[in-house]
Amino acid sequence: MEDDGNTVAVVVGLIDKATNSTKPDLDPRLLKSIKSVVRHSDSELRFAVENLMSLMKRDHSQVRYLTLTIIHELFMRSKLFRTLVVENLDQLLTLSVGFRRNQPLPAPPAIASKLRTKAIEYLEKWNTTFGIHYRQLRLGYDYLKNTLRYQFPNLQANAARIQQERRERELRTKEILLKKYELLKSNISSIKDEVNSIVDEISECLDILISSKEENVPLDPVDEEDFEDFRNVELRTIRENSLKEADKVQENSENKVVFDALRELYKLLVTKHLVAVQESISVLIRVELSDNRLRDSMLKEFIDIRNHLKLIKKKCEEAGCVISTRENDEEEDIWEEGASESFNTSKQVTPDKPDKQNDSAGCSNSKPTNAKATNVKLKANPDMDPLKSKLMVEAPVMRWGSFLDNWGSNRGYMANQRGLEVEAHWGRVDHDAVIPANKIAELNVQATVYEEEHKEIQQCRAPLKKGGLCERRDLKVCPFHGPIVARDDEGTPLNQENQEPDTKNFSREELLNQAVKNVRERDKEVVKKREYDKKELKRAKLAKIRGHNEAVLRDAAIASTSVSSAVGDSDLGREKDSLAKMLKKKATAKDRLATRLLSRKAIARQANLEDDHLKYREAFPNQW
Amino acid sequence: MWKKIGDRESGKLRPNSFITRIRSNRASSLHLSNHKELVSSHRGSVNSLQVDLTEGRYLLSGAADASLAIYDIQRATDYEAGGLIAKHKPILVDKQHQNAHKYAISTAIWYPIDTGLFVTGSYDHHIKVWDTNTTQVVMDFKMPGKVYRTAMSSLATSHMLIAAATEDVQVRLCDMASGAFAHTLSGHRDGVMAVEWSTSSEWILMTGGCDGAIRFWDIRRAGCFSVLDQSHSQLGRRPPLADKSTTKVSTSKARAPPRKVGSGSSSKHSGNSKIIKQTKGSAKQRLHPGLLTSQDRATAHYGAVLGLKATEDGMYLLSAGSDSRLRLWDIQSGCNTLVHYEIVRLQSSKAIQLDVSQDSGVVFLPCMTSIKAFDMWSGKSKMTLQGHYENVNCCCYSSHDQELYTGGNDRQILIWSPLKQIPADVDECDRSTGQPLAADEDNWSD
Repeated sequence: MEDDGNTVAVVVGLIDKATNSTKPDLDPRLLKSIKSVVRHSDSELRFAVENLMSLMKRDHSQVRYLTLTIIHELFMRSKLFRTLVVENLDQLLTLSVGFRRNQPLPAPPAIASKLRTKAIEYLEKWNTTFGIHYRQLRLGYDYLKNTLRYQFPNLQANAARIQQERRERELRTKEILLKKYELLKSNISSIKDEVNSIVDEISECLDILISSKEENVPLDPVDEEDFEDFRNVELRTIRENSLKEADKVQENSENKVVFDALRELYKLLVTKHLVAVQESISVLIRVELSDNRLRDSMLKEFIDIRNHLKLIKKKCEEAGCVISTRENDEEEDIWEEGASESFNTSKQVTPDKPDKQNDSAGCSNSKPTNAKATNVKLKANPDMDPLKSKLMVEAPVMRWGSFLDNWGSNRGYMANQRGLEVEAHWGRVDHDAVIPANKIAELNVQATVYEEEHKEIQQCRAPLKKGGLCERRDLKVCPFHGPIVARDDEGTPLNQENQEPDTKNFSREELLNQAVKNVRERDKEVVKKREYDKKELKRAKLAKIRGHNEAVLRDAAIASTSVSSAVGDSDLGREKDSLAKMLKKKATAKDRLATRLLSRKAIARQANLEDDHLKYREAFPNQW
Repeated sequence: MWKKIGDRESGKLRPNSFITRIRSNRASSLHLSNHKELVSSHRGSVNSLQVDLTEGRYLLSGAADASLAIYDIQRATDYEAGGLIAKHKPILVDKQHQNAHKYAISTAIWYPIDTGLFVTGSYDHHIKVWDTNTTQVVMDFKMPGKVYRTAMSSLATSHMLIAAATEDVQVRLCDMASGAFAHTLSGHRDGVMAVEWSTSSEWILMTGGCDGAIRFWDIRRAGCFSVLDQSHSQLGRRPPLADKSTTKVSTSKARAPPRKVGSGSSSKHSGNSKIIKQTKGSAKQRLHPGLLTSQDRATAHYGAVLGLKATEDGMYLLSAGSDSRLRLWDIQSGCNTLVHYEIVRLQSSKAIQLDVSQDSGVVFLPCMTSIKAFDMWSGKSKMTLQGHYENVNCCCYSSHDQELYTGGNDRQILIWSPLKQIPADVDECDRSTGQPLAADEDNWSD
């Protein structure tokens, strides 16, 4: 008997301790000890259920919340606990969800809402796990869901839905892959043909170049002589590189056509065919088929093609396309502010442009805002015609904008051929309507965004009493030291001559008066403030006493109602205090106003007013 | 249980008493059934439930959304969770029927002879008689007010009358044979909430009104012949067993005041004959000849009488009132037996339907959100059945299965059954999904 009583005290005490906290979560150690104690004895479990249900009835959401967490922990574990709790499930739900209108959840409201969402979540979990064993769980879940229309988190269904979606997506991709594969199967011969033709063309071009190179061979031995002179490794590598460069076929006016063709072919090869082949390889790898033989053979073919293409590409690069790209690189390095690529290519493809376009090129050349870049550019092209370089020097630096797209162009634009659907519109449509060039120019005026000039706001720099200078930054007037003027390091204004006439405008007496007035005002304020402080102090003291009284009363009330007040020790009491504090509403400005307005005096005054009004009405019934 | 079977085997126990013992045992161990559930199709509160009287198989339910449903409570329509839960779906749902009721159905009862007909009464002032097989309305009675309760006599051999308790002060008897009102019984001073036919005589009707009076009518004559008076009490009650009843009757006769009407008569018919004999002396026209004015003012409850239920043997009447009292009346003497039932509170706005187990041992009474089971003779609360989330309106005890069906404002119809003795050997595997069910076992992680 003695032993039994002791252990019971342990469980109840543990639960009380665990729920007597203002923290949002349970103490895991306490929870663990509760679990281990309850696990070993059914009688303790019964006591725990009783205690937990009585704790759920407390008028404090925090206590209820923590209790509910313990209930959940035990519910998921013990069968006996489940059968005991389920018998009173409607009560538990009433206390935790608060669905009955006459029994709302207690304060504080923030924790109450948390309690509700948690309770609903737990109920769903319980229902999915143990629903088939307990009709009460199903009933409660059904009632909250279908009758009261509570929103359940629906964890299981959500997970299932996500799974389903993923599966569908996979299926779709598989289908798409299959389709692609079919397409590939039908197209493979044509792809091969195309690739072969381009490969043939490229090899032809290369052949031509190589044959032309052989004519240049005699130049080589000249370089051979100096080879021994270069001891330095770096220099030697540079030299080797340059030799290699020399090895390569240089572009000149003779083979320029061939190079152009080669470049185009190379571009086609890299951007189209290589990419296409790569893609089809990936399709072949990813596709899932019942019969893999055909796919494997196709894959093999494609890999061969790819390797071949890579080889060709390498050859091309060796032959000269690499030069072209390198050129590009250099130019891009110089034109830091992203010269438009279209311009570059156009320049390469057609070196001799019409004058007008040259002009525009000049303008866009001067796009970079930093002068250095333009300088470099100028240096890099020393062979530009003198007029152009002269113009470049004095050309204005412009920000890039869409108006530069058709700089100086004199073209009109077709109005109705810009991809607009005009057939479906009412009225006649003039397909040949043209927007004249001057209108286009009007539309393409350079737009600028206003940018504020960055200006540093000066410090006040008036000398302070405690030493140092005032560090306030105000635009014109410092609230403490008057208008901001230039001052020296000591803080004395620099242009005294300017300042003095201003002060001299006031007469000396006026100044004195002003000073006296200022001093008096300050004194008055100080007195007022002192009085106010005194009052405030008194009020604070009263409030403190009142608060203490209330807390004591509440403690007493809680202790008298709780089953387990005997267990509560000193630190428990402190905890209670904080729990009670949670309940107390913070006084807002509105509350203070309400207390003022609804105080007895105010109401009496109001009533008096009313009385007067009534008297007046009685005396002069004909006036209203 | 096994001991009883052994006794029965050896012949120590009579078959009848064996049956009644098993039944009462089962009736006193009701729990919310986990293995059998009714899928309620109602969208409003369930107001009326009745199991048919012939087969004990079909449950008729009427709800506040003017829908009614019939459930087969013997055979489940489908199973869930590997045969663990038997679901009973309604075999007949009547909603949006062209002849259906407009407003809430307050009462739905079976025709007592077979399941081919049933009768519904509704707040839209109509009582309708339905053919079950075609689900058509075959007869329609227009009542002067909302219908609260209807009743048909289960013993009647010579009449087919539906007694209707309505908002109106008069109780009307609707004749199904002719489709007209056969009789209008006036005497109540307010609407009538409850109506019940006597289970011993096919001519006796008992009604309880909002004025708190319970009146007994002999439908062969005009006016009521008895009004129950709560202050007119009889200490001690006659024991439920039939063989002792005669002596008890004699004691009650000795104690009863001499002017009382039905006292001392051993059977209804003789009592009636006595009443007829007494008619000569009475002068009042409206009253029954044997009834005194002072008796006419008597009340059975302080407040409305919400429900009436006669015991199977026809000797006692239970009445529930909005004064949160359940009273047990001796029908023959018309006395309050002063049994105190431990009730906290009854809902007072709606008529409730209470029920008694077959051997008259247990009374089931809806008390707010729970159903309480009382021992009828001592008034002790035996069980409190909690499962509904809102007020319970009706309960219906099936003596065949010893199951209790309850309907409430939360739109559910719950089944309360005795615990299964042998757990059904269902495989712990859901046949539909093939996933193993979560076992209901202890699961300690640490």
